[in-house]
Amino acid sequence: MALKALDIYKLLPKKNCKECGDPTCLTFAMKLASGKGDIDKCPYLDLNAKNILGASTRPPIQLVKIGVGERRFAVGEEFVVFRHEKTFYHPPGIMFQVSDLWPVETIESITRRVGSEHFVRVGTDLTFSGVAITNESGDADIFAKAIGVVESTGTHIPEVLMAPDPAVQEEGLKKCGNFRPLIYSATKDSYKPMCALARKFGSPLVVSAQDLESLGEMTKLCNAEGVTDLLLDLSFPSLRDYIPAATEIRQKSISRSAPGLGYPIFLDTTRYPMQDTALVLGIDKYAGVIVTPALRFPSSVAALTLRQNIYTDPQKPIQMNPGIYPVGNPGKESPVLLTVNFSLTYFTVQGYLESSRVPCYMLIVDTEGLSVLTAVAAGKLNETLVRDSIKKFDLENLVSHRHLIIPGYASPLSGKIEEETGWKVMVGPRDAAELGDYLVKEWKI
Amino acid sequence: MAEKSPDLDGKIGCVVLGATKSDGGTRTVSYRPGGESDLPFTGMKNGQGSIPLVAFEICDDPDYWSPIVTSYTGDLVINTREWARAAEKQYGADLVRLYLTSTKRRGFEEFPSITKVMEEVLSGTGLPLIVEGSNEPAIDSEVFQRCGEAGQGERLLLGTAEAGGYRSVAAAAMAYNHSVIAQSPIDINLAKQLNILLREIGVKADHIMIDPYTGSLGYGFEYSYSVMERIRYAALKGDTDLAMPMITSATDSLSVKEVREADPVIRDDIAVAWEFYAGLSSAVAGSSIVCVRHPKTVPLLKQAFRELWAGKIPGEA
Repeated sequence: MALKALDIYKLLPKKNCKECGDPTCLTFAMKLASGKGDIDKCPYLDLNAKNILGASTRPPIQLVKIGVGERRFAVGEEFVVFRHEKTFYHPPGIMFQVSDLWPVETIESITRRVGSEHFVRVGTDLTFSGVAITNESGDADIFAKAIGVVESTGTHIPEVLMAPDPAVQEEGLKKCGNFRPLIYSATKDSYKPMCALARKFGSPLVVSAQDLESLGEMTKLCNAEGVTDLLLDLSFPSLRDYIPAATEIRQKSISRSAPGLGYPIFLDTTRYPMQDTALVLGIDKYAGVIVTPALRFPSSVAALTLRQNIYTDPQKPIQMNPGIYPVGNPGKESPVLLTVNFSLTYFTVQGYLESSRVPCYMLIVDTEGLSVLTAVAAGKLNETLVRDSIKKFDLENLVSHRHLIIPGYASPLSGKIEEETGWKVMVGPRDAAELGDYLVKEWKI
Repeated sequence: MAEKSPDLDGKIGCVVLGATKSDGGTRTVSYRPGGESDLPFTGMKNGQGSIPLVAFEICDDPDYWSPIVTSYTGDLVINTREWARAAEKQYGADLVRLYLTSTKRRGFEEFPSITKVMEEVLSGTGLPLIVEGSNEPAIDSEVFQRCGEAGQGERLLLGTAEAGGYRSVAAAAMAYNHSVIAQSPIDINLAKQLNILLREIGVKADHIMIDPYTGSLGYGFEYSYSVMERIRYAALKGDTDLAMPMITSATDSLSVKEVREADPVIRDDIAVAWEFYAGLSSAVAGSSIVCVRHPKTVPLLKQAFRELWAGKIPGEA
């Protein structure tokens, strides 16, 4: 169960030494109580206090860091079951699988692809996260050589070493153990040597077992071996078991009713015939690290877009910078369409304007990310904002006419905007899909 | 907010779609979407309701349809009967959703043609039918009346009721015992309000499906995904005004920039990926019927649902 700040304070040294980075022991206790503090930052805790606090003050899902350098990422440390309750913080790392039996060129090209490929959406750079090297050869030297190939590309992307045999795993770690690769995986039989490797190289470790109960026992065994950076392998034989298991883990770890399950989830989609399906489930439902085959272009863009969607903060709509955006190749006579800076509105309207093939300007005004309907209702979209925006973005010199098309839902403002700006207001359609038709029929200047 | 499935004591109602011969219709199959009493795809136990269905969308005037679909499908799209048949026999859809796009033409008043199209589609396929009428106040009453009448006894699903216009579609549905799609703009409270409005004028709860409005992948899908989760969760917690099954259609999928501007060589594959990723995620968030427009998306979604479904699949032992 979670402890209150005062209960935690009683266990702290009360020296107010500031060595943890907090001004007092009490503020440190408050941070721990909210799940945001790190108990190891206090150098003066006795072992007993550490044990009591360790289990109840760490975030409900352990934060696990994978890789080093610019491309490193962290997973876990989530606080809600549904994204609408707050937000999801750490998007899953998607790792492309390569086999140690594959030709050097193939391993190289997939690694380089993950290293350089990126898609820009809504102003954000989207990339895949790393590679997972599988030990299909069963041979330690071949495995180490394949890792050497990955390293030789100089991409410095995070790695998963997928070798069940600790002896093989160790040869791999000798090649890249300094770069915090994820070790896959510890089983009931191999957890001792695997934990020893994780400790030696400071690497996070995946634990595998046949069901949730055994996974919970495994994490306790690994904790006892001194390893706490763990992931839970949910790549069960049937993909059907994924959502029930992932949901149960998320619910129980958030409610802290099963501390042994408070770790991020690992999913290997290469085990299933329907890899896109598995990938969608992992992204939607709580995975921390997902291994997939190198995705074809269509799945690549769709997967990264879905991941961006699910991990967008629902309380902060993505906003566009206010300003004038040309569509096509507009000139002095082209229509000007006003809309708000809620990015979803912007991209929807822009999409339909582009397909209308009528060159035009979009005048994007700052409604702080509110949609047209809510901005009108809240008074954020009003005649003064329109007047100031026209001035600020120098619309008067951009076009020779004085006609402004406003969204259908802003029609109540048309008179006031005309008075305030002196521009002739035309009321456009409510549905952006009808913009093409509207422009063809109504735009006759 | 650490809710657990065991705390859920609500249940989603069922809507009957399609009437077979024994129920006085001509459909070869009938569905009962809804019935869940737990979160989507989580249950081995019980209460998982029925497997999500895939509806294939067609229209009676392809000028208003995505060129991606019309160029992939070819001349088939000008024969609505054959297009509906293909949806069933070639693509393997569970339902056909007909959009009466012909009514979008300015000054439309050839109402008898609606009856004709309805008859063609009903004869082209034995699948249960979803029909999208008109949202133009001048003609919607007559359009829905025609749809409702032509589909009498078939237990159609008629769309779409919105807060700004729901009487015509509701009247036709009530007159001929069809069900209604209630669409609200990505907002749980507006969804609830519309359901209440519909019931006030006499539409029964088990004749309503919720359409939470689905933004396409990358264009607002995250809002739709979350509103679906909220609606489903609220219903499972006991809110009966939201305990109707959901129908979703990311209709803009084929016109977003990523798809529209794609290299023609892979444009179909991107369109399918865009529909599939949003469609499967919608079902994961609680949707009972997922609608798509690209023929190649249908078998992929159906296969995914079967792969994930632990319960009984209708028509199979």
